[in-house]
Amino acid sequence: MTRSLNALRPVYVVGIGWHRYQNPSETPYVELGLTAIRAALADARIEWPTVESTYVATALLGMASGRPMLRHLGATGAPLMHVENASASGSTAFRHACIEVASGISDVALAVGVDKRNPVRRPDTGIGNLAEDAIVPFTHFALLTNEYAVRHNASTDDIALVAVKNHRNGAKNPHAQRQQERTLDEVLGGKRVSGSLTSLQCTPIGEGAAAVIVASEDGIRRLGIDAGRAIRTTASVGRSERVYPPGAGFDAALTKETAELALAQAKLAPKDLDIIELHDAFTVEELHYIESIGLCPEGHGVRMLKDGALDIGGQCAINPSGGLIAMGHPIGPTGIGQIGEIVMQLRGEAGPRQHRGARIGLAHMVGVGAVCYVHILQR
Amino acid sequence: MQPNKLLKPALYSVEAHDGSGATARLKGGRCRCGYVFFPMQTYGCERCGSHGGALTPCELSANGTLLAEATVHLHADKNRPAPFTIVKVALDDGPVIRTLLADGSAAVAPGQRVTGRLAAVGQSESGETVLDLRFSIAS
Ligand SMILES: [Zn+2]
Repeated sequence: MTRSLNALRPVYVVGIGWHRYQNPSETPYVELGLTAIRAALADARIEWPTVESTYVATALLGMASGRPMLRHLGATGAPLMHVENASASGSTAFRHACIEVASGISDVALAVGVDKRNPVRRPDTGIGNLAEDAIVPFTHFALLTNEYAVRHNASTDDIALVAVKNHRNGAKNPHAQRQQERTLDEVLGGKRVSGSLTSLQCTPIGEGAAAVIVASEDGIRRLGIDAGRAIRTTASVGRSERVYPPGAGFDAALTKETAELALAQAKLAPKDLDIIELHDAFTVEELHYIESIGLCPEGHGVRMLKDGALDIGGQCAINPSGGLIAMGHPIGPTGIGQIGEIVMQLRGEAGPRQHRGARIGLAHMVGVGAVCYVHILQR
Repeated sequence: MQPNKLLKPALYSVEAHDGSGATARLKGGRCRCGYVFFPMQTYGCERCGSHGGALTPCELSANGTLLAEATVHLHADKNRPAPFTIVKVALDDGPVIRTLLADGSAAVAPGQRVTGRLAAVGQSESGETVLDLRFSIAS
């Protein structure tokens, strides 16, 4: 018989930390990663030697980047592994850290994401293609924006309001790459990228790091960690793309089935969610995914957005961190940073961007391929 | 007629020449489970996992319905100077493909009927006209 995560021993996030996401700089990745790990250790009030296992999420640094970074914390001999799963690398590392603790193999594990902006190399499958060199991610999502706007009679200006909201949230986040409020005119007036997408509607790929420490109840007791600040992971689901009906958007279809499984695992309904951190690399994605997760019927996302239901303080705060559009998307760290944001919100420690009364949060990532990871955290 | 050369002969063939160039057929495949895909490959069927002889070549019509279009304004690759337009097309034979709209084509919108034709995109070293697939509004 197989078991889902929440049928194993409870696992809690006990420490969170970041190195600010930022434009590419001369700062070595080692410094980015160590800053985030030391912040997470300080947040949990534990020492490095208590960490029994480390998952390093990175997509662009190259082979075996973890140990040259971790050795500066004191070489404890604890196991480490690297996780590459495109944009979902960090989410995947978090899932496996949770599984390791929930299974009883370790009491304390670290998931750390760190990346620098390096050229992306995609594998050659040996199968030809018509023009994939001309279709980069922003064009994939520009096509989906065109389809969404036509199918649901939505204006592309309304879709761009996602960016206005997420820049507003990011402006209050000291870890965000973009910390500036933007009006709709500024968003629409920016550099045109592809289709109706402008640069402020697209994630700025940069660099940075995020770390979370997970622990069992035994670990929390043994190390004297403050259980009042520990946030439980109540669902973890990973999926990969299947064959969907021709023309169906695979990002949304994959998100729908992954989120459904996660909500069932935690015995929750979409309306129970207070916070969602989701993969808004491009504005239209936020609408696709809130509809796929089940916050509203397909095509109704713009209405919720315009009603303020997705704002901090609204019905369900979407991307209170600023999301990929404003917080940024350094790839390896992104999914781990989402977990950190939700933990901060559920603890009530999110300061000026606190969503009041937040008790349940969902983190969602998709990665090229396509893969999808969803986690639910509860206070 | 001048000699010409296909840029990606593994993916398409010339169907017929007409007044404005050549119409195309796409080199897809069909699995014995009924799944139709593009392009042809024998690694295995994405729907059922059958491989080798279960997958047979299947010529696909280049006619279809436009699902989406996007004009690309920024593109890092100097070999593809922007602007150019990408179209997402549901082929009448099943698969959904994405490729370039023909240069100089009238603007297109979702729901329109489109067709893939072989358009001159350059010259080979030996002086042949190089043809590649481009979509435009169906005539
Ligand atoms: Zn098959």
